[in-house]
Amino acid sequence: MLRMFLVQTKMNFVWYFRRDGEMMFWTLAMPVFFLVLFSFAFSTGPNSGSSAFLVPGIIGAQVLSSGFWGVGVMLATFREKHLLRRVYLTPMPPAVFFASLVVYRVALLVAQATILVTVGALVFHVHIVGNPLEIVAILLLGTATFVSLGTIIGALARTTESANNIASVLTVPLAFLSDAYVPIDRFPHAVSSALRLLPSTQFIDTFRDVSVYGQSLAHYGAWIALLVLWTVVGTAISARTFRWV
Amino acid sequence: MADAIVVERLVKRYGTLTAVDALSFAVPHGTIFGLLGRNGAGKTTTLECCIGLNQPTSGAVRVLDLDPTQPRELARLRPRIGVQLQATSLPEKANVREVLELYAAYYGIAPRAAEMAARVGLDDKLDRQIAQMSGGEQQRLALALALQHDPEVLFLDEPTAGMDAFGRRILWTEVERLRAAGKTIVLTTHYIEEAERLCDRICMIQRGAIVADGTPADLVARYGGDATVTIAADGFTPGADLQHLGTWTKAGAQWKLATRGEPGLALAAVVTDANTAGAKITSLDMHRPTLEDAFIAITGETIEETG
Repeated sequence: MLRMFLVQTKMNFVWYFRRDGEMMFWTLAMPVFFLVLFSFAFSTGPNSGSSAFLVPGIIGAQVLSSGFWGVGVMLATFREKHLLRRVYLTPMPPAVFFASLVVYRVALLVAQATILVTVGALVFHVHIVGNPLEIVAILLLGTATFVSLGTIIGALARTTESANNIASVLTVPLAFLSDAYVPIDRFPHAVSSALRLLPSTQFIDTFRDVSVYGQSLAHYGAWIALLVLWTVVGTAISARTFRWV
Repeated sequence: MADAIVVERLVKRYGTLTAVDALSFAVPHGTIFGLLGRNGAGKTTTLECCIGLNQPTSGAVRVLDLDPTQPRELARLRPRIGVQLQATSLPEKANVREVLELYAAYYGIAPRAAEMAARVGLDDKLDRQIAQMSGGEQQRLALALALQHDPEVLFLDEPTAGMDAFGRRILWTEVERLRAAGKTIVLTTHYIEEAERLCDRICMIQRGAIVADGTPADLVARYGGDATVTIAADGFTPGADLQHLGTWTKAGAQWKLATRGEPGLALAAVVTDANTAGAKITSLDMHRPTLEDAFIAITGETIEETG
Protein backbone atom coordinates (compact mmCIF):
# COMPACT_ATOMS: atom_id res chain seq x y z
CA MET A 1 0.00 0.00 0.00
CA LEU A 2 2.79 2.41 0.94
CA ARG A 3 4.70 1.47 -2.19
CA MET A 4 1.62 2.07 -4.36
CA PHE A 5 1.23 5.48 -2.79
CA LEU A 6 4.90 6.41 -3.14
CA VAL A 7 5.21 5.26 -6.75
CA GLN A 8 1.94 6.97 -7.74
CA THR A 9 3.04 10.20 -6.04
CA LYS A 10 6.44 10.09 -7.69
CA MET A 11 4.81 9.55 -11.09
CA ASN A 12 2.42 12.46 -10.50
CA PHE A 13 5.42 14.74 -10.05
CA VAL A 14 7.27 13.38 -13.04
CA TRP A 15 4.26 13.40 -15.39
CA TYR A 16 2.29 16.45 -14.40
CA PHE A 17 5.04 18.75 -13.22
CA ARG A 18 8.53 17.92 -14.38
CA ARG A 19 7.56 16.97 -17.93
CA ASP A 20 5.07 19.78 -18.34
CA GLY A 21 7.25 22.87 -18.41
CA GLU A 22 4.47 25.24 -19.33
CA MET A 23 2.28 24.10 -16.49
CA MET A 24 5.22 24.25 -14.08
CA PHE A 25 6.00 27.79 -15.13
CA TRP A 26 2.46 29.08 -14.79
CA THR A 27 1.84 27.29 -11.51
CA LEU A 28 4.85 28.94 -9.92
CA ALA A 29 4.85 32.28 -11.73
CA MET A 30 1.14 33.15 -11.66
CA PRO A 31 0.92 33.89 -7.91
CA VAL A 32 4.02 36.11 -8.06
CA PHE A 33 2.60 37.89 -11.06
CA PHE A 34 -0.63 38.55 -9.13
CA LEU A 35 1.33 39.78 -6.11
CA VAL A 36 3.34 42.26 -8.14
CA LEU A 37 0.39 43.40 -10.23
CA PHE A 38 -2.02 43.90 -7.37
CA SER A 39 0.58 45.43 -5.07
CA PHE A 40 1.18 48.22 -7.53
CA ALA A 41 -2.42 48.47 -8.67
CA PHE A 42 -3.93 48.82 -5.20
CA SER A 43 -1.29 50.78 -3.35
CA THR A 44 1.04 53.70 -3.69
CA GLY A 45 4.30 51.87 -3.15
CA PRO A 46 6.04 48.66 -2.17
CA ASN A 47 6.00 49.47 1.55
CA SER A 48 2.29 49.95 1.99
CA GLY A 49 0.05 47.62 3.95
CA SER A 50 -1.63 46.10 0.93
CA SER A 51 1.28 43.75 0.20
CA ALA A 52 0.91 42.30 3.69
CA PHE A 53 -2.75 41.81 2.80
CA LEU A 54 -1.96 40.29 -0.58
CA VAL A 55 0.71 37.68 0.25
CA PRO A 56 -1.56 35.54 2.45
CA GLY A 57 -4.55 36.42 0.25
CA ILE A 58 -2.91 35.06 -2.88
CA ILE A 59 -1.69 31.95 -1.07
CA GLY A 60 -5.28 31.47 0.11
CA ALA A 61 -6.60 31.88 -3.45
CA GLN A 62 -4.08 29.25 -4.58
CA VAL A 63 -5.47 26.86 -1.97
CA LEU A 64 -8.91 27.44 -3.48
CA SER A 65 -7.80 26.82 -7.02
CA SER A 66 -5.76 23.77 -5.97
CA GLY A 67 -8.96 22.22 -4.70
CA PHE A 68 -11.17 23.28 -7.58
CA TRP A 69 -8.75 22.91 -10.50
CA GLY A 70 -5.93 20.75 -9.22
CA VAL A 71 -8.21 18.10 -7.79
CA GLY A 72 -11.77 18.71 -9.07
CA VAL A 73 -11.11 19.45 -12.74
CA MET A 74 -8.19 16.99 -12.79
CA LEU A 75 -10.47 14.16 -11.65
CA ALA A 76 -13.08 15.06 -14.27
CA THR A 77 -10.32 15.04 -16.91
CA PHE A 78 -9.04 11.67 -15.71
CA ARG A 79 -12.56 10.28 -15.96
CA GLU A 80 -13.25 11.70 -19.40
CA LYS A 81 -9.96 10.31 -20.73
CA HIS A 82 -10.90 6.86 -19.35
CA LEU A 83 -7.90 6.94 -17.06
CA LEU A 84 -10.00 6.41 -13.95
CA ARG A 85 -11.78 3.35 -15.31
CA ARG A 86 -8.46 1.69 -16.07
CA VAL A 87 -7.15 2.40 -12.59
CA TYR A 88 -10.46 1.17 -11.12
CA LEU A 89 -9.70 -2.30 -12.52
CA THR A 90 -6.52 -2.61 -10.47
CA PRO A 91 -6.29 -3.52 -6.76
CA MET A 92 -5.22 0.00 -5.80
CA PRO A 93 -7.68 1.42 -3.24
CA PRO A 94 -9.33 4.65 -4.46
CA ALA A 95 -8.13 6.40 -1.29
CA VAL A 96 -4.50 5.81 -2.30
CA PHE A 97 -5.03 7.29 -5.75
CA PHE A 98 -6.85 10.27 -4.28
CA ALA A 99 -4.30 10.79 -1.50
CA SER A 100 -1.37 10.86 -3.90
CA LEU A 101 -3.14 13.46 -6.04
CA VAL A 102 -3.73 15.60 -2.94
CA VAL A 103 -0.15 15.20 -1.73
CA TYR A 104 1.06 16.32 -5.14
CA ARG A 105 -1.13 19.43 -4.99
CA VAL A 106 -0.05 20.20 -1.42
CA ALA A 107 3.60 20.00 -2.47
CA LEU A 108 2.87 22.45 -5.30
CA LEU A 109 1.15 24.73 -2.81
CA VAL A 110 4.19 24.64 -0.55
CA ALA A 111 6.39 25.58 -3.52
CA GLN A 112 4.04 28.42 -4.52
CA ALA A 113 3.81 29.71 -0.95
CA THR A 114 7.58 29.57 -0.47
CA ILE A 115 8.19 31.63 -3.58
CA LEU A 116 5.46 34.13 -2.67
CA VAL A 117 6.71 34.54 0.89
CA THR A 118 10.28 35.00 -0.36
CA VAL A 119 9.30 37.60 -2.94
CA GLY A 120 7.00 39.23 -0.37
CA ALA A 121 9.83 39.52 2.14
CA LEU A 122 12.55 40.64 -0.27
CA VAL A 123 10.55 43.04 -2.44
CA PHE A 124 7.60 44.14 -0.34
CA HIS A 125 8.96 43.67 3.20
CA VAL A 126 6.09 41.44 4.23
CA HIS A 127 7.10 39.13 7.04
CA ILE A 128 5.49 35.98 8.31
CA VAL A 129 5.35 36.44 12.07
CA GLY A 130 2.80 33.87 13.22
CA ASN A 131 3.32 30.57 14.98
CA PRO A 132 4.59 28.16 12.27
CA LEU A 133 2.58 25.22 13.60
CA GLU A 134 -0.62 27.24 13.60
CA ILE A 135 0.09 28.49 10.09
CA VAL A 136 0.60 24.93 8.85
CA ALA A 137 -2.54 23.81 10.69
CA ILE A 138 -4.82 26.42 9.14
CA LEU A 139 -3.28 25.83 5.70
CA LEU A 140 -3.92 22.11 5.95
CA LEU A 141 -7.48 22.66 7.15
CA GLY A 142 -8.13 25.07 4.27
CA THR A 143 -6.64 22.60 1.80
CA ALA A 144 -8.86 19.84 3.18
CA THR A 145 -11.91 22.10 2.86
CA PHE A 146 -11.30 23.08 -0.75
CA VAL A 147 -10.14 19.64 -1.86
CA SER A 148 -13.36 18.18 -0.47
CA LEU A 149 -15.46 20.88 -2.15
CA GLY A 150 -13.43 20.63 -5.36
CA THR A 151 -13.97 16.89 -5.47
CA ILE A 152 -17.72 17.57 -5.70
CA ILE A 153 -16.97 19.33 -9.01
CA GLY A 154 -14.99 16.30 -10.15
CA ALA A 155 -17.83 14.03 -9.07
CA LEU A 156 -20.74 15.91 -10.61
CA ALA A 157 -19.28 17.37 -13.82
CA ARG A 158 -19.86 15.00 -16.70
CA THR A 159 -17.09 16.38 -18.87
CA THR A 160 -13.79 18.19 -18.48
CA GLU A 161 -15.36 21.19 -20.16
CA SER A 162 -18.20 21.49 -17.68
CA ALA A 163 -15.78 20.93 -14.77
CA ASN A 164 -13.64 23.74 -16.19
CA ASN A 165 -16.63 26.03 -16.44
CA ILE A 166 -17.80 25.30 -12.90
CA ALA A 167 -14.29 25.83 -11.52
CA SER A 168 -13.89 29.12 -13.40
CA VAL A 169 -17.25 30.42 -12.28
CA LEU A 170 -16.35 29.60 -8.67
CA THR A 171 -12.63 30.41 -8.43
CA VAL A 172 -12.35 33.82 -10.02
CA PRO A 173 -15.31 35.53 -8.29
CA LEU A 174 -14.52 33.82 -4.99
CA ALA A 175 -10.97 35.15 -5.07
CA PHE A 176 -12.35 38.69 -5.36
CA LEU A 177 -15.22 38.21 -2.91
CA SER A 178 -13.34 36.38 -0.17
CA ASP A 179 -10.80 38.93 1.02
CA ALA A 180 -8.07 37.39 -1.11
CA TYR A 181 -7.16 40.20 -3.53
CA VAL A 182 -9.28 43.09 -2.26
CA PRO A 183 -10.55 43.76 1.26
CA ILE A 184 -14.26 43.02 1.45
CA ASP A 185 -14.60 45.84 3.96
CA ARG A 186 -14.87 48.05 0.90
CA PHE A 187 -18.30 46.57 0.21
CA PRO A 188 -21.39 47.75 2.09
CA HIS A 189 -21.63 46.19 5.52
CA ALA A 190 -24.51 43.89 4.62
CA VAL A 191 -22.56 42.55 1.64
CA SER A 192 -19.32 41.99 3.53
CA SER A 193 -21.23 40.24 6.33
CA ALA A 194 -22.82 37.95 3.79
CA LEU A 195 -19.43 37.25 2.20
CA ARG A 196 -18.10 36.10 5.57
CA LEU A 197 -20.47 33.15 5.28
CA LEU A 198 -18.26 31.78 2.50
CA PRO A 199 -15.71 29.14 3.49
CA SER A 200 -13.15 30.93 1.34
CA THR A 201 -13.52 34.14 3.38
CA GLN A 202 -13.39 32.24 6.66
CA PHE A 203 -10.23 30.46 5.60
CA ILE A 204 -8.38 33.39 4.03
CA ASP A 205 -9.15 35.80 6.87
CA THR A 206 -8.02 33.32 9.50
CA PHE A 207 -4.90 32.42 7.56
CA ARG A 208 -3.96 36.08 7.08
CA ASP A 209 -4.55 37.06 10.69
CA VAL A 210 -2.47 34.12 11.93
CA SER A 211 0.38 34.40 9.43
CA VAL A 212 1.14 38.09 8.86
CA TYR A 213 -0.68 39.70 11.79
CA GLY A 214 0.56 37.14 14.32
CA GLN A 215 -2.84 36.35 15.84
CA SER A 216 -3.33 33.13 17.77
CA LEU A 217 -5.40 30.46 16.04
CA ALA A 218 -7.19 29.94 19.36
CA HIS A 219 -9.21 33.15 18.71
CA TYR A 220 -10.73 31.69 15.57
CA GLY A 221 -12.65 28.75 17.02
CA ALA A 222 -15.89 29.61 15.22
CA TRP A 223 -14.24 29.92 11.80
CA ILE A 224 -12.32 26.68 12.35
CA ALA A 225 -15.51 24.86 13.35
CA LEU A 226 -17.24 26.14 10.21
CA LEU A 227 -14.34 25.08 7.99
CA VAL A 228 -14.40 21.60 9.55
CA LEU A 229 -18.15 21.49 8.88
CA TRP A 230 -17.64 22.49 5.21
CA THR A 231 -15.00 19.78 4.91
CA VAL A 232 -17.25 17.12 6.40
CA VAL A 233 -20.17 18.11 4.17
CA GLY A 234 -17.93 18.31 1.09
CA THR A 235 -16.39 14.93 1.79
CA ALA A 236 -19.78 13.33 2.38
CA ILE A 237 -21.22 14.68 -0.88
CA SER A 238 -18.07 13.74 -2.83
CA ALA A 239 -18.01 10.21 -1.46
CA ARG A 240 -21.70 9.71 -2.33
CA THR A 241 -21.56 11.11 -5.83
CA PHE A 242 -18.10 10.21 -7.13
CA ARG A 243 -18.05 7.90 -10.16
CA TRP A 244 -15.05 6.07 -11.59
CA VAL A 245 -16.56 5.31 -14.98
CA MET B 1 -13.57 -28.38 -12.06
CA ALA B 2 -16.06 -25.53 -11.87
CA ASP B 3 -16.37 -22.93 -14.58
CA ALA B 4 -14.12 -19.88 -14.38
CA ILE B 5 -16.93 -17.59 -15.49
CA VAL B 6 -20.68 -18.05 -15.29
CA VAL B 7 -23.11 -15.51 -16.73
CA GLU B 8 -26.80 -16.18 -16.16
CA ARG B 9 -29.67 -14.31 -17.81
CA LEU B 10 -27.63 -11.11 -17.87
CA VAL B 11 -29.68 -8.05 -18.80
CA LYS B 12 -28.41 -4.49 -19.22
CA ARG B 13 -30.80 -1.75 -20.20
CA TYR B 14 -29.97 1.91 -20.85
CA GLY B 15 -33.35 3.64 -20.66
CA THR B 16 -35.44 1.96 -23.32
CA LEU B 17 -32.43 0.43 -25.09
CA THR B 18 -31.66 -3.16 -24.16
CA ALA B 19 -27.93 -3.60 -24.75
CA VAL B 20 -27.73 -7.13 -23.31
CA ASP B 21 -30.83 -9.29 -23.38
CA ALA B 22 -30.93 -12.32 -21.06
CA LEU B 23 -27.52 -13.58 -22.05
CA SER B 24 -26.16 -16.79 -20.48
CA PHE B 25 -22.89 -18.62 -20.94
CA ALA B 26 -20.24 -20.44 -18.96
CA VAL B 27 -16.49 -20.52 -19.57
CA PRO B 28 -14.61 -23.57 -18.26
CA HIS B 29 -11.15 -23.04 -16.78
CA GLY B 30 -8.42 -22.97 -19.40
CA THR B 31 -10.77 -22.06 -22.23
CA ILE B 32 -10.30 -19.27 -24.78
CA PHE B 33 -13.81 -17.94 -25.13
CA GLY B 34 -14.83 -15.50 -27.86
CA LEU B 35 -17.78 -13.13 -27.99
CA LEU B 36 -18.21 -12.49 -31.70
CA GLY B 37 -20.57 -9.92 -33.10
CA ARG B 38 -20.95 -6.61 -34.84
CA ASN B 39 -20.13 -3.33 -33.13
CA GLY B 40 -23.00 -2.51 -30.80
CA ALA B 41 -24.10 -6.12 -30.39
CA GLY B 42 -23.52 -5.97 -26.62
CA LYS B 43 -20.10 -7.63 -26.38
CA THR B 44 -18.35 -4.85 -24.51
CA THR B 45 -21.25 -4.32 -22.10
CA THR B 46 -21.22 -8.03 -21.29
CA LEU B 47 -17.48 -7.96 -20.67
CA GLU B 48 -17.79 -4.82 -18.54
CA CYS B 49 -20.37 -6.56 -16.35
CA CYS B 50 -17.83 -9.33 -15.70
CA ILE B 51 -15.15 -6.94 -14.42
CA GLY B 52 -17.21 -4.57 -12.29
CA LEU B 53 -17.14 -1.66 -14.74
CA ASN B 54 -20.85 -1.95 -15.41
CA GLN B 55 -23.76 -2.92 -13.16
CA PRO B 56 -26.22 -5.40 -14.69
CA THR B 57 -29.89 -4.45 -14.75
CA SER B 58 -30.65 -8.05 -13.78
CA GLY B 59 -29.09 -11.48 -13.94
CA ALA B 60 -26.05 -12.98 -12.27
CA VAL B 61 -22.33 -12.92 -13.05
CA ARG B 62 -19.66 -14.94 -11.28
CA VAL B 63 -15.95 -14.83 -12.08
CA LEU B 64 -13.69 -17.27 -10.19
CA ASP B 65 -16.67 -17.82 -7.89
CA LEU B 66 -16.79 -14.13 -7.01
CA ASP B 67 -19.55 -11.65 -7.77
CA PRO B 68 -18.09 -8.55 -9.48
CA THR B 69 -21.19 -6.50 -8.64
CA GLN B 70 -20.35 -6.74 -4.92
CA PRO B 71 -17.57 -4.29 -3.98
CA ARG B 72 -15.95 -6.65 -1.45
CA GLU B 73 -15.89 -9.57 -3.85
CA LEU B 74 -14.70 -7.33 -6.68
CA ALA B 75 -11.79 -6.25 -4.47
CA ARG B 76 -10.80 -9.91 -4.07
CA LEU B 77 -11.25 -10.52 -7.79
CA ARG B 78 -9.17 -7.61 -9.10
CA PRO B 79 -5.70 -9.07 -8.40
CA ARG B 80 -6.70 -12.30 -10.14
CA ILE B 81 -7.87 -10.83 -13.45
CA GLY B 82 -6.16 -8.88 -16.21
CA VAL B 83 -8.01 -6.55 -18.54
CA GLN B 84 -7.24 -4.94 -21.87
CA LEU B 85 -9.92 -2.38 -22.68
CA GLN B 86 -10.80 -1.25 -26.18
CA ALA B 87 -9.35 2.19 -25.65
CA THR B 88 -6.99 2.44 -22.72
CA SER B 89 -5.87 5.93 -22.09
CA LEU B 90 -2.72 6.32 -20.06
CA PRO B 91 -1.16 9.59 -18.89
CA GLU B 92 0.30 11.29 -21.96
CA LYS B 93 3.56 12.28 -20.32
CA ALA B 94 4.22 8.82 -18.91
CA ASN B 95 6.67 6.50 -20.62
CA VAL B 96 6.42 2.75 -21.12
CA ARG B 97 8.77 1.85 -18.29
CA GLU B 98 6.99 4.11 -15.78
CA VAL B 99 3.54 2.81 -16.60
CA LEU B 100 4.70 -0.79 -16.18
CA GLU B 101 6.43 0.10 -12.90
CA LEU B 102 3.34 1.90 -11.63
CA TYR B 103 1.06 -1.02 -12.45
CA ALA B 104 3.50 -3.42 -10.79
CA ALA B 105 3.15 -1.28 -7.66
CA TYR B 106 -0.67 -1.41 -7.96
CA TYR B 107 -0.49 -5.21 -7.90
CA GLY B 108 2.26 -5.41 -5.29
CA ILE B 109 4.64 -7.31 -7.57
CA ALA B 110 8.22 -6.68 -8.60
CA PRO B 111 8.31 -4.58 -11.79
CA ARG B 112 9.14 -6.51 -14.94
CA ALA B 113 9.16 -3.54 -17.29
CA ALA B 114 11.91 -4.70 -19.64
CA GLU B 115 10.60 -8.27 -19.87
CA MET B 116 7.00 -7.19 -20.45
CA ALA B 117 7.99 -4.56 -23.02
CA ALA B 118 9.93 -7.23 -24.91
CA ARG B 119 6.94 -9.57 -24.87
CA VAL B 120 4.78 -7.01 -26.65
CA GLY B 121 7.50 -5.77 -28.98
CA LEU B 122 8.15 -2.50 -27.19
CA ASP B 123 11.64 -3.32 -25.89
CA ASP B 124 13.19 -0.51 -27.91
CA LYS B 125 10.54 1.94 -26.71
CA LEU B 126 10.88 1.72 -22.92
CA ASP B 127 11.51 5.46 -22.66
CA ARG B 128 8.92 6.46 -25.23
CA GLN B 129 6.14 8.70 -23.92
CA ILE B 130 2.51 7.65 -24.41
CA ALA B 131 1.75 10.80 -26.42
CA GLN B 132 4.38 9.78 -28.98
CA MET B 133 3.14 6.22 -29.43
CA SER B 134 0.76 5.02 -32.14
CA GLY B 135 -2.62 3.62 -31.23
CA GLY B 136 -1.40 0.11 -31.95
CA GLU B 137 1.65 0.55 -29.71
CA GLN B 138 -0.56 1.83 -26.91
CA GLN B 139 -2.78 -1.22 -27.31
CA ARG B 140 0.29 -3.46 -27.02
CA LEU B 141 1.28 -1.65 -23.83
CA ALA B 142 -2.28 -2.14 -22.57
CA LEU B 143 -1.84 -5.86 -23.23
CA ALA B 144 1.41 -5.87 -21.25
CA LEU B 145 -0.41 -4.16 -18.36
CA ALA B 146 -3.07 -6.86 -18.45
CA LEU B 147 -0.44 -9.62 -18.34
CA GLN B 148 2.25 -8.30 -16.00
CA HIS B 149 0.74 -9.65 -12.75
CA ASP B 150 0.19 -13.08 -14.30
CA PRO B 151 -3.61 -13.19 -13.79
CA GLU B 152 -5.71 -16.36 -13.86
CA VAL B 153 -8.38 -14.89 -16.11
CA LEU B 154 -7.92 -12.36 -18.91
CA PHE B 155 -10.55 -10.11 -20.43
CA LEU B 156 -9.57 -8.69 -23.80
CA ASP B 157 -12.01 -6.24 -25.37
CA GLU B 158 -11.41 -5.98 -29.13
CA PRO B 159 -7.70 -6.53 -28.42
CA THR B 160 -6.48 -6.10 -31.99
CA ALA B 161 -8.70 -3.20 -33.04
CA GLY B 162 -6.39 -0.56 -34.47
CA MET B 163 -3.37 -2.87 -34.43
CA ASP B 164 -1.23 -3.50 -37.49
CA ALA B 165 -0.25 -6.98 -38.65
CA PHE B 166 2.77 -6.98 -36.30
CA GLY B 167 0.62 -6.14 -33.27
CA ARG B 168 -1.96 -8.75 -34.22
CA ARG B 169 0.74 -11.42 -34.49
CA ILE B 170 2.09 -10.47 -31.05
CA LEU B 171 -1.35 -10.69 -29.49
CA TRP B 172 -2.03 -14.02 -31.15
CA THR B 173 1.30 -15.38 -29.92
CA GLU B 174 0.54 -14.22 -26.39
CA VAL B 175 -2.89 -15.85 -26.47
CA GLU B 176 -1.29 -19.12 -27.60
CA ARG B 177 1.22 -18.84 -24.78
CA LEU B 178 -1.55 -18.18 -22.24
CA ARG B 179 -3.51 -21.13 -23.59
CA ALA B 180 -0.48 -23.35 -22.99
CA ALA B 181 -0.21 -21.94 -19.45
CA GLY B 182 -3.82 -22.97 -18.81
CA LYS B 183 -5.21 -19.45 -18.43
CA THR B 184 -8.83 -18.60 -19.10
CA ILE B 185 -9.46 -15.84 -21.63
CA VAL B 186 -12.60 -14.00 -22.65
CA LEU B 187 -12.16 -11.90 -25.73
CA THR B 188 -14.58 -9.86 -27.76
CA THR B 189 -13.95 -9.35 -31.44
CA HIS B 190 -15.61 -8.51 -34.67
CA TYR B 191 -12.77 -10.09 -36.66
CA ILE B 192 -13.96 -13.52 -37.73
CA GLU B 193 -10.45 -14.69 -38.58
CA GLU B 194 -9.28 -13.82 -35.08
CA ALA B 195 -12.16 -15.64 -33.40
CA GLU B 196 -11.66 -18.70 -35.62
CA ARG B 197 -7.95 -18.81 -35.02
CA LEU B 198 -7.83 -18.14 -31.27
CA CYS B 199 -11.02 -19.35 -29.68
CA ASP B 200 -11.88 -22.77 -28.31
CA ARG B 201 -15.49 -21.68 -28.06
CA ILE B 202 -17.37 -18.87 -29.72
CA CYS B 203 -20.61 -17.17 -28.78
CA MET B 204 -22.16 -15.26 -31.64
CA ILE B 205 -24.04 -12.26 -30.34
CA GLN B 206 -26.67 -10.23 -32.13
CA ARG B 207 -28.67 -7.40 -30.55
CA GLY B 208 -27.61 -8.41 -27.03
CA ALA B 209 -28.57 -12.08 -27.34
CA ILE B 210 -26.64 -15.24 -28.14
CA VAL B 211 -27.68 -16.59 -31.52
CA ALA B 212 -25.25 -19.54 -31.71
CA ASP B 213 -22.39 -21.04 -29.75
CA GLY B 214 -19.91 -23.84 -30.11
CA THR B 215 -16.39 -24.56 -31.29
CA PRO B 216 -15.44 -22.80 -34.53
CA ALA B 217 -15.43 -26.13 -36.44
CA ASP B 218 -18.76 -27.03 -34.93
CA LEU B 219 -20.35 -23.72 -35.93
CA VAL B 220 -19.06 -24.03 -39.49
CA ALA B 221 -20.31 -27.61 -39.76
CA ARG B 222 -23.72 -26.76 -38.36
CA TYR B 223 -24.39 -23.41 -40.03
CA GLY B 224 -21.77 -22.86 -42.72
CA GLY B 225 -23.75 -24.69 -45.38
CA ASP B 226 -22.35 -26.85 -48.19
CA ALA B 227 -19.00 -26.55 -49.81
CA THR B 228 -19.30 -25.54 -53.44
CA VAL B 229 -17.45 -26.22 -56.66
CA THR B 230 -18.26 -23.87 -59.52
CA ILE B 231 -17.17 -24.63 -63.05
CA ALA B 232 -17.73 -23.03 -66.42
CA ALA B 233 -16.59 -25.12 -69.39
CA ASP B 234 -17.68 -25.18 -73.02
CA GLY B 235 -19.63 -28.32 -73.69
CA PHE B 236 -19.68 -29.45 -70.07
CA THR B 237 -22.77 -30.88 -68.43
CA PRO B 238 -22.54 -32.88 -65.20
CA GLY B 239 -23.29 -36.43 -66.14
CA ALA B 240 -24.73 -39.31 -64.15
CA ASP B 241 -21.31 -40.20 -62.68
CA LEU B 242 -21.11 -36.76 -61.01
CA GLN B 243 -24.59 -36.75 -59.47
CA HIS B 244 -23.55 -38.63 -56.31
CA LEU B 245 -21.26 -35.72 -55.33
CA GLY B 246 -24.14 -33.44 -54.39
CA THR B 247 -26.67 -31.08 -55.90
CA TRP B 248 -25.99 -29.37 -59.25
CA THR B 249 -27.55 -26.08 -60.30
CA LYS B 250 -26.93 -23.99 -63.41
CA ALA B 251 -26.54 -20.23 -63.37
CA GLY B 252 -25.77 -18.76 -66.76
CA ALA B 253 -22.74 -20.50 -68.18
CA GLN B 254 -21.72 -21.82 -64.76
CA TRP B 255 -22.52 -25.09 -63.12
CA LYS B 256 -22.47 -25.07 -59.35
CA LEU B 257 -22.09 -28.16 -57.16
CA ALA B 258 -23.16 -27.99 -53.51
CA THR B 259 -21.51 -30.82 -51.62
CA ARG B 260 -21.40 -32.15 -48.09
CA GLY B 261 -18.29 -34.15 -48.93
CA GLU B 262 -14.68 -33.08 -49.24
CA PRO B 263 -14.74 -30.29 -51.84
CA GLY B 264 -11.15 -30.99 -52.97
CA LEU B 265 -12.06 -34.51 -54.06
CA ALA B 266 -15.25 -33.29 -55.72
CA LEU B 267 -13.22 -30.68 -57.59
CA ALA B 268 -10.78 -33.33 -58.84
CA ALA B 269 -13.64 -35.53 -60.04
CA VAL B 270 -15.35 -32.63 -61.83
CA VAL B 271 -12.13 -31.55 -63.58
CA THR B 272 -11.32 -35.11 -64.66
CA ASP B 273 -14.82 -35.51 -66.05
CA ALA B 274 -14.64 -32.23 -67.97
CA ASN B 275 -11.23 -33.14 -69.43
CA THR B 276 -12.39 -36.62 -70.42
CA ALA B 277 -15.36 -35.05 -72.22
CA GLY B 278 -12.97 -32.68 -73.99
CA ALA B 279 -14.69 -29.60 -72.48
CA LYS B 280 -12.59 -26.44 -72.33
CA ILE B 281 -12.64 -25.08 -68.76
CA THR B 282 -12.98 -21.27 -68.66
CA SER B 283 -13.39 -20.79 -64.92
CA LEU B 284 -13.12 -22.93 -61.85
CA ASP B 285 -13.72 -22.19 -58.20
CA MET B 286 -13.92 -24.06 -54.93
CA HIS B 287 -15.33 -22.65 -51.70
CA ARG B 288 -15.12 -24.34 -48.35
CA PRO B 289 -17.62 -22.98 -45.76
CA THR B 290 -16.05 -20.58 -43.30
CA LEU B 291 -17.02 -19.15 -39.94
CA GLU B 292 -18.08 -16.07 -41.84
CA ASP B 293 -20.60 -18.14 -43.85
CA ALA B 294 -21.89 -19.50 -40.57
CA PHE B 295 -22.14 -15.97 -39.14
CA ILE B 296 -24.07 -14.72 -42.15
CA ALA B 297 -26.36 -17.76 -42.10
CA ILE B 298 -27.08 -17.30 -38.40
CA THR B 299 -27.44 -13.53 -38.14
CA GLY B 300 -28.63 -12.70 -41.63
CA GLU B 301 -26.00 -9.98 -41.89
CA THR B 302 -22.29 -9.57 -42.54
CA ILE B 303 -20.12 -8.67 -39.58
CA GLU B 304 -18.74 -5.47 -41.11
CA GLU B 305 -21.38 -2.77 -41.18
CA THR B 306 -20.31 -1.66 -44.63
CA GLY B 307 -20.00 -5.23 -45.94
